[in-house]
Amino acid sequence: MTGEQPEYVVARIQQALATDPRTGELELDVRIAGGRVFLAGAVATSERREAVEQVVRETAPELDVHNELSVTEDLPPGPSESVS
Amino acid sequence: MTRVAAVGDLHAGPDSVGTIRSRFEDLPQRADVLLLAGDLTRRGTEEEGRIVAGELRDLGVPVAAVLGNHDHHSGQEDRIREHLEAAGVRVLEREGLVLDIDGTRLGVAGTKGFGGGFAGASASAFGEDQMKAFIGHTETLAAGLEEALTNLRADVRIALLHYAPVDATLAGERLEIFPFLGSYLLAEAIDRAGADLVIHGHAHRGKEKGVTAGGITVRNVAETVIRHAYKVYRVGDGVRPGPEAEAARLAE
Repeated sequence: MTGEQPEYVVARIQQALATDPRTGELELDVRIAGGRVFLAGAVATSERREAVEQVVRETAPELDVHNELSVTEDLPPGPSESVS
Repeated sequence: MTRVAAVGDLHAGPDSVGTIRSRFEDLPQRADVLLLAGDLTRRGTEEEGRIVAGELRDLGVPVAAVLGNHDHHSGQEDRIREHLEAAGVRVLEREGLVLDIDGTRLGVAGTKGFGGGFAGASASAFGEDQMKAFIGHTETLAAGLEEALTNLRADVRIALLHYAPVDATLAGERLEIFPFLGSYLLAEAIDRAGADLVIHGHAHRGKEKGVTAGGITVRNVAETVIRHAYKVYRVGDGVRPGPEAEAARLAE
């Protein structure tokens, strides 16, 4: 694990987030900077926000995790637009 | 005029019970129909399909959907479709649906769609069998969508997709993954058949608004793009409903 290039760690984290039954998330932004993992993007519920962080911690236990994920479950209806 | 509510990428899971239903609470006051642009589930399990079907039952307006790549992940897409249809959600895969909404016939033709990329930077059905299968899947779905759209007898026609038909609505996604987000073959098929509006999802970091090469309005309604529970598009503002409109269309 020691000495693994950050870009390979990012790829491994993204693979884990896609395939782990607790997450199934393909669209999240994962970056490693200053020895920390930064998570950005949106998930449906606060439970999933926690699950993503947990999977990342298990996948890269040597790194601190900075969780910037937003949650979409309480979005209000949007405005209407005339399109034709 | 018909009010079309649309959203994609709900990604339902066991923790979604109640949360999806609540976002559609006052839907009948805001819209005449709801279109769902794929990825109704997170991992494509039958259980998730049962949950999302329960959330979408009896919303007070007709609901039509296409499935997405997440809905295929566990190989249980047929069971997901059965749960949705049992709850009254019409699932469209190279199929069309015509709804009578206050005398206006609203036609919706849908397919999941698939990837390949966009004109000038698209994969070809060349080389390995796996590449031929990849593009062949897109070609099959595009052809089926074109046929379903062409066969709609409606005053207003909408194409419903999961994958993107144009790259304009992908702006914000990394260029390297565009071939996995959509295909120009879908737009080409829609431009040939004609439509008033194209709805898609899948590109979570893209943008809402685009247009096909033929000038048809495209909207990416992935919920992380529209940042609302759903958007409402008013279509057919200039359409005169009823038999005269149909006669005029057939005479074209």
